[in-house]
Amino acid sequence: MKDLKHLIYFENLLLEANNELVQKAQAEGKVCVAYTCENTPEPLLNLEGCFSARLRAPRTGSLDISTYYMTSFLCEYSRALLERAIEGGYNFADCVITPDGCSMMNRCIENMELLKTMGKDKEKFFFQYMEVPMKADDNGLNLYVLQCKNHILNPLHETFGIDISDAAIRKAVAEFNETCELIRAIGDFRKEDNPRITGYEFNVITLATYVAPKYLLIDKLKETLEELKTREPDEKSRFRARVLVAGSEVDDTDFVKLIEDAGAYVCADRFCYGSLPGRDPIILNDEEDALTQICRIYMNKGECPRFMNTDKMDHRRVYVDQLAKEYKADGIIYQQMKFCDPWAYEKMMGTTILRNKYGYPVLAVDRPYSIGTSGQMVTRVQAFVESIEIKKIHNKGVANG
Amino acid sequence: MAKEIGADRLGDFYKEGSKVRTRREWRGVADTLYDYSRWLRIMMTLGKFVVKPRNVKAMFRYRWMANYLAVPMMVDRHTQGLRGEYLRICHEEQDLIIDDVAKLLDSLFRGDRRIGNDKKFSDKVVLVDENEMTAVMMGFPTLKALSRETPSTYVSVLLNQYAACHYIDVAQEFGLAGDVCPMPEAEAGVSIDDDAPIIGACAIQCNTTCDGSLLGNGVISQRLQHEDGIPVFQLAAPLRHREDDVQEYAAQEIRNAIAFIEKHTGEKWDWKAYFECAKRVNYATKCRMEWLEMNRTPYPQVFGSNLALYTETNYMAICGRVAAFEKADRKISKLAQQAYAKKKMAAKEYRHRAIVWGVQSHYYMDFLVWLLNCWGIVPLTDMLSMVSTKMLATEDTPENREQAIYDMAWLTENMIMRNRTHGGYKVLLDELWEFVEEFNADMVILWEHMSCKALDGMHGLFEERAREKGIPLVWVSHDLFDPRIISRQGVRDQINSFMRTVMQEEPLDPSLEILPDDKSW
Amino acid sequence: MGIFLKILKIIVIVSVVFFGVTFTVYFFNLDMKLTAAIEPWLLKQYDKVDRDQHL
Repeated sequence: MKDLKHLIYFENLLLEANNELVQKAQAEGKVCVAYTCENTPEPLLNLEGCFSARLRAPRTGSLDISTYYMTSFLCEYSRALLERAIEGGYNFADCVITPDGCSMMNRCIENMELLKTMGKDKEKFFFQYMEVPMKADDNGLNLYVLQCKNHILNPLHETFGIDISDAAIRKAVAEFNETCELIRAIGDFRKEDNPRITGYEFNVITLATYVAPKYLLIDKLKETLEELKTREPDEKSRFRARVLVAGSEVDDTDFVKLIEDAGAYVCADRFCYGSLPGRDPIILNDEEDALTQICRIYMNKGECPRFMNTDKMDHRRVYVDQLAKEYKADGIIYQQMKFCDPWAYEKMMGTTILRNKYGYPVLAVDRPYSIGTSGQMVTRVQAFVESIEIKKIHNKGVANG
Repeated sequence: MAKEIGADRLGDFYKEGSKVRTRREWRGVADTLYDYSRWLRIMMTLGKFVVKPRNVKAMFRYRWMANYLAVPMMVDRHTQGLRGEYLRICHEEQDLIIDDVAKLLDSLFRGDRRIGNDKKFSDKVVLVDENEMTAVMMGFPTLKALSRETPSTYVSVLLNQYAACHYIDVAQEFGLAGDVCPMPEAEAGVSIDDDAPIIGACAIQCNTTCDGSLLGNGVISQRLQHEDGIPVFQLAAPLRHREDDVQEYAAQEIRNAIAFIEKHTGEKWDWKAYFECAKRVNYATKCRMEWLEMNRTPYPQVFGSNLALYTETNYMAICGRVAAFEKADRKISKLAQQAYAKKKMAAKEYRHRAIVWGVQSHYYMDFLVWLLNCWGIVPLTDMLSMVSTKMLATEDTPENREQAIYDMAWLTENMIMRNRTHGGYKVLLDELWEFVEEFNADMVILWEHMSCKALDGMHGLFEERAREKGIPLVWVSHDLFDPRIISRQGVRDQINSFMRTVMQEEPLDPSLEILPDDKSW
Repeated sequence: MGIFLKILKIIVIVSVVFFGVTFTVYFFNLDMKLTAAIEPWLLKQYDKVDRDQHL
């Protein structure tokens, strides 16, 4: 396939947390709201006058100092973020808003605060910690709304004078939806039998929308969508199987690349930082206030294993099954960042249930934050691809009698 | 054989490769006869339990029941070297806990579909988590709040250090990562291994201590709800429990939980019963505060595992619902005041006053007694005992009924451990140093439960604060339920090397420094 | 009087024997030594129990 015109541009945005577009938006006088967890409603961080940057630690190397502060038993994502913060890599942020999504992320941000790693020369800098619901119900919704008011909207308004009116929120949702619709349209090409976009390319583009101001990306996203409409896929696909990747935080595009280099096309991305459901548009009605609607949508669509009510737990596996069908996945890879407690359990449950109840071939792996070119992982994915192929041959044999 | 405190070489009772110790201690005529009489009482409790055929049947069905062979030894481990009031306080607590657990087991097997299959009884049972405040059950006097995890894993590991290993292995065979906390891992393992009694009209789970615990419940509810047909309510207590803007949410969760129980059991909330329980909770709090007050003086009386284990049981699992604990509180207070008036000491020498922080190693709960006997370190209090001291509303008025909902929510949010491991760094990090000052401590023993992420995440800052304050801090790593990762001797070695190299001290009882208890229960 | 003394004697003898036996068991930890011997046998029994092991 011919290279995508803006792929290198998107890739470059992922090389630094303080990327070109973050700098550009700040130069325009906008406030950079750093956040870490998918349970923070993104449109509320992208009101007029501010923009969100979800924290990553690209090109992570040594984790020595953060390991001293948080031991080697915390997940590498939380340690990589702290290490980068200690190095001064997040000094560009104007505030941090974080829910206690999991214990590790909570401790990561608390260490950032106590070690005074951020906000140097920024008088208005603040940390805000939110309580987000663990169940999807009316009580949870009330909590979510109150927490968003107290820990997102009011601090942004009081500190930076951001307009937090219903109209402003609706405008932010409209802009958010524009990005989501573009990502969704680009992502739909993955449903093709011989897709015109690789999982890696899509992962790069999606990830860019999390870490850069969306309004500065729209043009490139539109151009990319147009380009894809006429892009010719290779006559013979290099992929031998289609897989859905589900699981914990993945902001390392090398992971998807590694899977694809091993012969498995990543047709769907059901992981934290992925597009499913992270890039689902938010549809608002005019009857109810926008904030409540956003919170309800976030609460209901959340696929994070911290949601503990039975319906939500069951839905996590139902949703993976739906996506696997929609994106025609031959198999599922459940990945979990090493030391992630929530996904350690969800990986076990998802793997077993998707395999036994739904009949999918499932590969369960745990991985470091930066995978690089792990030989072990390549071998495991290759073996998985072969097992899917054998299964296909076997099924064909059975079908032919 | 000696009457005096600290005259025995306690390490000599251990035998290489043996599960049990060679003999019991001679503590002088009066104390030995007292200990003997309490042993007889325990034997009677166990005897009463095994005469019921259903309990014998359960003994052969559930693997974790084998651990209950070691009940008397658990008491012996905690009474090591104790004399006088300390011995009596320990027995008051331990024997009552044994009694309570025996009743719990008996009830579980009575309603268990596999064993007693008493359906009428089972319909009045509400299952609760092991790590869950039972506050929502305070107003349901006709219902039984039973925890399956308490006897299968929690108490089992107190009895036998290896009790959870089988279940941990089962969970890992099913693909659970080996780095999660072994407590919920073992609890999930019991469920996967089909080794949990099937009983109850409904279940109340809670997002108790940690992410692992929350997700472990997900494994258990899968089987409970989808296979056994037992509806589950997940009670979500807010994590940032010190914040005002989460309290209404917490209160509503309590209201919803009560409504759920009423719906599935047909019982109605009883305010009279609730306020009776609230009075007992307050009394327990008052007693605990008195004990802690004594521990601030040079003559602490209720400390170490006497404080830790009892608080865990009384505060969380009992929560004012059992009158016998009020009686025990009174007796313990009387004994403590008696000993305090006489300026008595539990060891021949007190060298250090320590605050024990973090989550203790469950397979080595008697470590605190060891600290005292071996090194003269007095564990004044521990993180799990520093729970809510708030007094609950006890008078039945319309305002207090509303307040009671918030009180129950507060208790649930402030369950042991989670009241420190969640809620921001202030409750875990800052308040430790406040307690160090309040208790006039000169040392901090910091348990590093290696798979407890909430604690590990503050590792460096604990050290920095200790350096700033000039307080010696010793890390004691362990893996809570799994002695295969760090053995009991491994735990002791961390203290031994710190005391010898950093503090440059010699042990009070050198026979305890290295113990051949690797194979021991 | 004779019967009373006889009963008393029996009670005393039974009590002394009971105390002697139980105190010996208590002091030499024989109860725990016995249960420690039973445990391996019990564990083998559990391996024979049919169980529906799954998530």
